[in-house]
Amino acid sequence: MSAWIAFLIAFPLVVGAVLLVVTRPSIRNPIVLGASAAIAVASIATVVTFGNGDAVFFGLPGGIVPGQALLAVEVAMTAFIVVVGLMNRRFLAPVMALIQLGIALFLEMTGRMPDADPQRLFWFDRLSMVMVLIIGLIGTLICVNAIGYMRDYHRASPMTRGRRNVFFSLLFVFLAGMFGLVVSNDLPLMLVFWEITTLCSFLLIGYTRTEETIGYAFKALNMNLLGGLGFGLAIALLSNQPNGLDLAKLTAGPVSGTLLAAVALLAFAGITKSAQMPFSSWLIGAMYAPSPTSALLHSSTMVKAGVFLLLRLSPAMSGSTVGYMVTFVGLVTFLMVSLVAVTEQNTKKVLAYSTIGSLGLIVGCAGIGTPELAWVGVMIIIFHALAKGLMFLVVGTVENRLYTKDMENFDTLISRLPRVSVLALVGIAGMFIAPFGIVVAKWAAIKAFLLVPGGQGAVMILIMAFGSSLTLFYWGKLLIKVLSMRTISDYERSIERRISRYEWLTEGALAAGVIAVTASIGVISDRVVGPYALSAFATGPRTLPVIDAAMLVVMLAAVLFLPLVAVWASRRRYDEADFYTSGRSGNSSHVMGAALGGSRSVTLRNFYLDGVINGALMFRVGTLTCAGILGAMVLTGMVVR
Amino acid sequence: MTEPIYAILFIILAPVFGGLLAGVDRVVSARMQGRVGPPLLQPFYDVGKLLQKEAREVNPVAEPLLLGHLGFMAVTGALLLGGTDLIFIAFVFALAALLLVLAAGSVNSPYSFEGAERELVVLLASEPFFILMMAGVCKVTGASTFAGVMASPQLVALQLPGVLLAFLLVATIKLRKSPFDISVSHHPHQELVSGLTTDMSGRLLAYVEMAHWYESALLGAFMVLMFNWSIPLGLLVFAIAYALEILVDNSTSRAKWQLVLRSTWVATLLFSGGNVLALFLLGR
Amino acid sequence: MSFFSRSPWILHYDGSSCNGCDIEVLACLTPLYDVERFGIVNTGNPKHADILLVTGSVNERNIEIIQNLYRQMPEPKVVVAVGACACSGGIFARAYNIQGGIDKVVPVDVYVPGCAARPESIIDGVVQGIAALEEKRKKTA
Repeated sequence: MSAWIAFLIAFPLVVGAVLLVVTRPSIRNPIVLGASAAIAVASIATVVTFGNGDAVFFGLPGGIVPGQALLAVEVAMTAFIVVVGLMNRRFLAPVMALIQLGIALFLEMTGRMPDADPQRLFWFDRLSMVMVLIIGLIGTLICVNAIGYMRDYHRASPMTRGRRNVFFSLLFVFLAGMFGLVVSNDLPLMLVFWEITTLCSFLLIGYTRTEETIGYAFKALNMNLLGGLGFGLAIALLSNQPNGLDLAKLTAGPVSGTLLAAVALLAFAGITKSAQMPFSSWLIGAMYAPSPTSALLHSSTMVKAGVFLLLRLSPAMSGSTVGYMVTFVGLVTFLMVSLVAVTEQNTKKVLAYSTIGSLGLIVGCAGIGTPELAWVGVMIIIFHALAKGLMFLVVGTVENRLYTKDMENFDTLISRLPRVSVLALVGIAGMFIAPFGIVVAKWAAIKAFLLVPGGQGAVMILIMAFGSSLTLFYWGKLLIKVLSMRTISDYERSIERRISRYEWLTEGALAAGVIAVTASIGVISDRVVGPYALSAFATGPRTLPVIDAAMLVVMLAAVLFLPLVAVWASRRRYDEADFYTSGRSGNSSHVMGAALGGSRSVTLRNFYLDGVINGALMFRVGTLTCAGILGAMVLTGMVVR
Repeated sequence: MTEPIYAILFIILAPVFGGLLAGVDRVVSARMQGRVGPPLLQPFYDVGKLLQKEAREVNPVAEPLLLGHLGFMAVTGALLLGGTDLIFIAFVFALAALLLVLAAGSVNSPYSFEGAERELVVLLASEPFFILMMAGVCKVTGASTFAGVMASPQLVALQLPGVLLAFLLVATIKLRKSPFDISVSHHPHQELVSGLTTDMSGRLLAYVEMAHWYESALLGAFMVLMFNWSIPLGLLVFAIAYALEILVDNSTSRAKWQLVLRSTWVATLLFSGGNVLALFLLGR
Repeated sequence: MSFFSRSPWILHYDGSSCNGCDIEVLACLTPLYDVERFGIVNTGNPKHADILLVTGSVNERNIEIIQNLYRQMPEPKVVVAVGACACSGGIFARAYNIQGGIDKVVPVDVYVPGCAARPESIIDGVVQGIAALEEKRKKTA
């Protein structure tokens, strides 16, 4: 199995290097397809050879310890950041990168960096298994989707310099980084992979090299580097603790003292990477990148790295003040971004806020540290990766066809893009309609929070109740738009035929995945997520959420209902409607007869509750609140030492 | 006892209960206004007529969505009495309500769309409450199913007075007494012609009516959960609450949706939230 | 078993009139006459209505409206013309803008004369309309 993992880390790096020099699509596309298939197969092989047992630890062949190599990579990355930062006259990033390198060099030079146990460099358990599948299957699907998407993207915006070789190269390097991250047990090793993903994210966000996107790219870089700095400081603190740098041993159970301080810093890093408040603005800015980037980095994979780390830390934080603070950062983020999402009209941004919210839920679960909540966290990871990945890809497809991101222009999607709308409905249903993933998770989370003692449990449930209703609202709006119909012209009918088969293939596969995973949620829970949750926590209540047959049936029905309705309706001929407009003649082109023989056009626009919710204010409130909590958390960790 | 029996009983009997309740509503309202009012079984006659009337199709998706609305509403009750987890039921209830919004909103016509949007706001207003209510009930009794709650020695309403108060406010919405400027409120209650149901006719409208009957029955069942000492007690309290609703409806001026959203959220936060918080702090 | 006679819903439309008949129609809803006893509901929406109760006459502007409303009503449906204006144009029949009674535009089933028509006549007219409704339902059933 370790051979497969080595393949998973090394192979995408090689592919990335190769793709950097290939400029012709006719050569590049087969390479991307082939490499993706290979990675997908390798991921499955990894899982199969692992066999769903308990944790496995291993090292590099020959027992080599990568100490110097890691340092070399760090120097290279820091140099790159300094150069790019100076070239763009941004100085914060180079400064932070240099500080981080400084810490690493200091530890190495003064001999404080202990030698890692050569047999425990890597850690593979059921959680890694889940992550490997997500990266290997969903990640590669997104890469394949990008083939079709980028072709249309560049056709639509010929002004942006096409550097597709860089784009695809980065996608694969990123995959390598993620694979490395989720199997690392040695913290310095994990940090290197962590920073690789940071760099890839930076470069991908700034892909189009416009003034605006460069700004967002640096914002992402700065925030992630800040997290990385936290990570580096944690390593420094742990360097003189016995077994401090062994993640598995560090997180075997609740910790205190210096270990807790380090855990707080690591949690800080996880929080920045998963775009929790106050670090959410980088994810919102990342929406200006091409959609596959948004799908890959910002829903399915990179942000999952942050919550992955937090889930790993969960047993160590369990029951401590630090843990509760992490939970509140997550839940407050969830509530506040849900409020903001209601006022947002740009569909990609709505998806982004929704992502941050879902991640907030996972963070909320990780902070408490019980098997039940760990179960919830992993379930959200699985379902969110599938459904949100699907949604971003679908929105990307729609965007390329209809040249709009505005939710108001997504109306009559069933008529204009019937098959795409079916996929979109699977995605939306997967995201929030009572069953599937997110709702199951919310349900289970509420049940779990019922067991949290003191006022915190009540506050958590309150946040869940309000936050959940808000998600209902903004998804409901999108659904209303998608489900409306009108007569369309032949030209409009032809638009859908121009969607590339890569997009159909990948989005269809993800939709099938959503449905399949819903149907097999019981099996997944019993065989994978349940055992993981129970084995990760030595103490705490041993209950897990139980999904009975009735619930499963309702869940499947609910997730299939809307897409099936769309399939059925799109086959029906839509006759020009005769709806009531006070007796005036009206039709779906929305021009009505008005007074004095005139005519007026009617626009149907969703509610954004601007008078009730001030989106910008909510964002600011959330940012400040969470900044406060985070500050307190780090301080508590330091002081309680 | 086999709980599936209760689920089936609910599916069959709930519409009868709901329809009779609607009939009583109309008769009592009429008497309050000094009129005689229709026969008690009028709602059933209405639905019977609607089923015999032509249904004008404005948007093909409307019919399946409305059937879904009706179906999921019935299923919510069936699940409730059949022994499914209470908090899950709060979510299925929300889904059922959402389907009505989708059916109306997808029609693309001004009144229907506006009605759907306002109804969505109303959903937003009332949904947090139901989640909190179920959480509160589970916390008090330590049980997570209907049967478990009924069997518990704890009388829920005594420990959740705040939740009860908020329930009365939210029930006003769900029973279509308020706000007046949305929609499916009973005939003289709307601002937007018929709001949500403006472009529904014939059997489509019948589905909405029947779904509303199920919803009324569900609210009755929720009240029974609150007064879990005995089922007749719960139903009696529900009847009294309903009478109060009719009284309030006939004697006060109309509330608009903005007011409803704010006041419901405040009430949910203060009364329900405060109640649940107190429960946790008291260390149950 | 037909429910139309137990639940006839009305759409009331006023063409060009003095509103006298409208007031009489609304009076039917008041406690004195209380047509809700018969299950009659005054809906504002053609899609929900069985009976189109028209007062006032037809002019240039409302031809289209009346036709749209009539067309938007699902089957079975009847039209009851209330008041002299709706029947034939009434006192305004020779005015430059009046085209005539409602039957110039839609098929009328029941004529209720009067200026203004009394609530008792209106109710009687509606009852006859209900009978016509039942007839139509039997034909199309």
